Amino acid sequence: MCHQSVSLAARYLEEHGIATAVLGCARDIVEHCGVPRFVFSDFPLGNAAGRPFDEDSQRLTLDLALGLLESARTPRTTVQSPLAWSEDPGWKADFCDLSRIPRSEVAARRSDFEAQKERAREVSR
Amino acid sequence: MNGRDSSVPIEDAPRSVSEPFSARVGPDAPEGAGLPVAYMQRTRAYYLALGYDNPYRWSHYRDVPFAALRKPLAESSVALVTTAAPYRPELGDQGPGAAYNGAAKFFEVYSAPAGPEAPPDVRISHVSYDRTHTTAKDPRTWFPLERLHEAQGARRIGRVAPRFHGLPTNRSQRTTLDQDCPALLRRVHEDEADAAILVAN
Repeated sequence: MCHQSVSLAARYLEEHGIATAVLGCARDIVEHCGVPRFVFSDFPLGNAAGRPFDEDSQRLTLDLALGLLESARTPRTTVQSPLAWSEDPGWKADFCDLSRIPRSEVAARRSDFEAQKERAREVSR
Repeated sequence: MNGRDSSVPIEDAPRSVSEPFSARVGPDAPEGAGLPVAYMQRTRAYYLALGYDNPYRWSHYRDVPFAALRKPLAESSVALVTTAAPYRPELGDQGPGAAYNGAAKFFEVYSAPAGPEAPPDVRISHVSYDRTHTTAKDPRTWFPLERLHEAQGARRIGRVAPRFHGLPTNRSQRTTLDQDCPALLRRVHEDEADAAILVAN
C-alpha cells in the first residue's frame, strides 16, 4: 500500500503545482498508478532510498531523484538505479512466498488484516 | 543524524559497495534475474491464500499530471514525504527485525521538524517491507533526510523544507485522496516548498 499511497500523493501534489519525485522499489504498483517522476531501485521493499550502511548508494539514489526534478520533461518518467541488491537475484522469489507461511499462521494473519481494515474504516467515517 | 540504531554493532553492518550489477549476466543469467518483482500479482495470490476471493483493485490512471519546477533546483525548497512512523515505545517492538506491528500504524498526516540538529526517529515496523532480505537497521534507506541536507550543503537544492511529512498508507484510495492528500498539500504549502521527494516502503 505504501507505493500506492505515495503515488496518489505525488499525483495530487503535481495537480496543485508541486514538482515531485517518487523513490520506490515496487515498479509495477507505481507505474500502474502513474506518477510524473519515479526512481526505481530494484531492491527489497524498505530500501527505496539506497542500500543499508552504503552512503554512496544513498547519495546516488537521491541524486537520481533530484536530477529527475530538473530534467524530466514529461510525466511517467522513470529512471532505474544502476545498482543491484546483490549478485544473486534469488531474493526476488521470496516476497509473499506462500510456501513460507505455516498453515497455522494463516488465521492469525487474516485476523490481523481484518483489525487493520476496521481501524481504517473508523478513520474514514 | 548518524542514521544507525545504537544497538547495532558497526561490525555487523553489511560491507556493501556501490557498483553496477555485473555478475550472473549475459547468457548464463537466471531467468527473470533482471525483471522487477511482480508485487501486484504476488499480493493477489497472497490474499487469495488468506481466504479473500475479491482481489484488491490497485489504483490506475491513464492521465498523469506534471508540474515543472518553477525555479532552479538550487533555489527550490524541497520537502521530504515518508510513510515511516514516529517511534513510540509504548506501541511495542518497532526495532530492526521486528515482526509486522499494526499498532504502530498511523492514520493521519503528521509533520515534524526536518532540521539537521534533531534527527527524527521514524520506523517502518508497521509496513510490509522485505523482512527476509533486509533488516531495517539503517533508517537512511527509507528516510533520506541526511542525504537531503547534504544536497543543501552542496547547493544542489536551495533548502530542505522546514518540516517533513508522514503520509498514512491506507488501503482505501478514497481516504488517501479525500483526506490525506489535501492535508499533505496544505502542509507543503504552509512550508512554501517547491518540490517534494516521496519515499515508499
